[in-house]
Amino acid sequence: MNLVVAMKQIPDLQQIRFSNRRPVLADVPKSFGNIDKNALEAAVLIKESYGDGKVTVVSAGNEELEDTIKEALAAGADEAFLITDDNALDDADSSIVAQVLTEAIKQLEDVDLLLFGEGSGDNYSGQMGPRVAKLLDLPMVGYASAIEIKGDTAIVVRTLEDVEEVVEVSLPAVITVQSGINEPRIPSVTQILKAGRKPKTVQDLEDLDLGSDHKNQVVTIDILAPESNRKQIKVNNASQLLDALKNENLIGG
Amino acid sequence: MDFSLSKEQLMIQNMAREFAEKSILPVAQQIERENQIPDEILEGLAGLGLFGIAYPEEYGGGGGGYDGYALAMEQISKVCGGVAMTLSAHCMTLSTIMAFGTEEQKQKYMTPGCIGEHVLSVAFTEPSTGSDPKQLTSTAVKQGDKYILNGTKRFISNANWPGTILVFAIDSVTNKPTAFLVDKWCEGYSISEPWDKIGMHGGMLLDVYMKDIEVPAENILGGPAMGYPILQLGISYGKIGVCSITLGAMLSAYEEAMKYAREKMHRDKPITKFQAVQLRLASIASLYEASRWMTYRLAWLANNVKDPVQFAKEAALTKTFVGETVIDLVRDAMAIHGSYGLINDYKISQLWRDSIIAPQIEGVTDMQKTIAAAVLLGAI
Repeated sequence: MNLVVAMKQIPDLQQIRFSNRRPVLADVPKSFGNIDKNALEAAVLIKESYGDGKVTVVSAGNEELEDTIKEALAAGADEAFLITDDNALDDADSSIVAQVLTEAIKQLEDVDLLLFGEGSGDNYSGQMGPRVAKLLDLPMVGYASAIEIKGDTAIVVRTLEDVEEVVEVSLPAVITVQSGINEPRIPSVTQILKAGRKPKTVQDLEDLDLGSDHKNQVVTIDILAPESNRKQIKVNNASQLLDALKNENLIGG
Repeated sequence: MDFSLSKEQLMIQNMAREFAEKSILPVAQQIERENQIPDEILEGLAGLGLFGIAYPEEYGGGGGGYDGYALAMEQISKVCGGVAMTLSAHCMTLSTIMAFGTEEQKQKYMTPGCIGEHVLSVAFTEPSTGSDPKQLTSTAVKQGDKYILNGTKRFISNANWPGTILVFAIDSVTNKPTAFLVDKWCEGYSISEPWDKIGMHGGMLLDVYMKDIEVPAENILGGPAMGYPILQLGISYGKIGVCSITLGAMLSAYEEAMKYAREKMHRDKPITKFQAVQLRLASIASLYEASRWMTYRLAWLANNVKDPVQFAKEAALTKTFVGETVIDLVRDAMAIHGSYGLINDYKISQLWRDSIIAPQIEGVTDMQKTIAAAVLLGAI
């Protein structure tokens, strides 16, 4: 079984500082988003239960990706297919990245299943899985909380707001996973140190045939951290506290 | 000169941090109370390759070097010093076998240790001596092709776990200290209850009693009468562990101080607005950074020891600085906490007890200075 996982390189969210409400991204180490790691773990588990197969991670980003990808290769991916560019991909919107990933995936042979996180760790637009499925003309199931492979179909449990839905999809297909689907493994020392020796294909963005019509359709004007203004309501006793909480509609009247 | 960590080093650091936060943190209070590490923690560390991280793959190790070891130990110790202390004593033994063992000894004794089936120990200290080889009273009497070991060893880490213990005893042929590779729990081996020590709970210290333990002559490490040089180099490697554990305590105190200072209000302002607190935070940060880079450098030196005497000097200097500095750092973090620092609900109180261990183990600070001065003055 050939599994492909698409993962997005993002700044390590725990190490971002804010200055005047704007994130300071210089020198912040890169990593993959948490839900992307769930998608990878799902693929590795499927491969392990299937007994054979290959997990290939596809990713697009700047040149740091060649280092970042070691995280995925340590966590169970067998090989990587990377599209890199010094800066063009940093500001690319979902439509462009979806085209880039699609062109990369087309170069892989006999893909049975494509896995994505339901949303990236930074922008969380949740578009990549559906867009790539559309471009590849494959069926797509979103928000999987369990996946079971049966012959040439996948049985997928989707945990929605108030129901669980079980669907069957024929392979090849695209599935996006939720964070609760699994607990990604922690790679061992040996897996970490061997990650850099696993097979890796790196292609320049320029070498992909994206056609001429690939301009950003969404332009990010600004990114600001939410402002939080404390109300600083002072109370002198418990009944005043209760009144204040009621006035703020935080407890029932 | 490049001080940045490689991707692999960062990943090892992250791996240890993640395991410590997910698996050790939920039982850290239990370890503190019961002075006992649950088996599943040791199994988890073994599964990640942390029992043999620094050693070559041919002996079951991970090949991550002492730099990887120091980075991982710091993160584990940040969550629980006792767990890191167990690993440190284990790895000191492995390093000693790596440095002095024959190929056969390395295969036989390192491999089960590196994969975590064995937890190793070093046994030099006795009730009447900690560092002086002339005061050893344990004996190894030669009988044919074996030695008979008798004596009592004090404050021995990991003496309760199955595995190899490296025992130093005066052998009857040379009348000098010789190091023997002994199987714990062989006939004649017994231990005391763990000592009720001040901090680093979980990292147990026990006494070991040896009564007519038979050891084949082939179990001598490094040759007869080599006990003291073996101890000196072995314990130098051990200081990487102790300094990394200490760094973990420093990092934890640093974070606790920052967190408390940001949350504690005085006259409607967080106490970070007061210069007395700011100066202490800056002091904490500078002491941590200095200790950190000294320790990482020692680990880097350990990856390629050319001159054991010079390495012993560097290890002694690093241990002197880091072991004493943690006291100043935790004192500042304690001061920021005010009276709350005295309350056991606050982690700083535990770090206060843990930190005093640093200048006292693997050779007290005065012994470190004595070693360093002896090398500086050409006496060794």
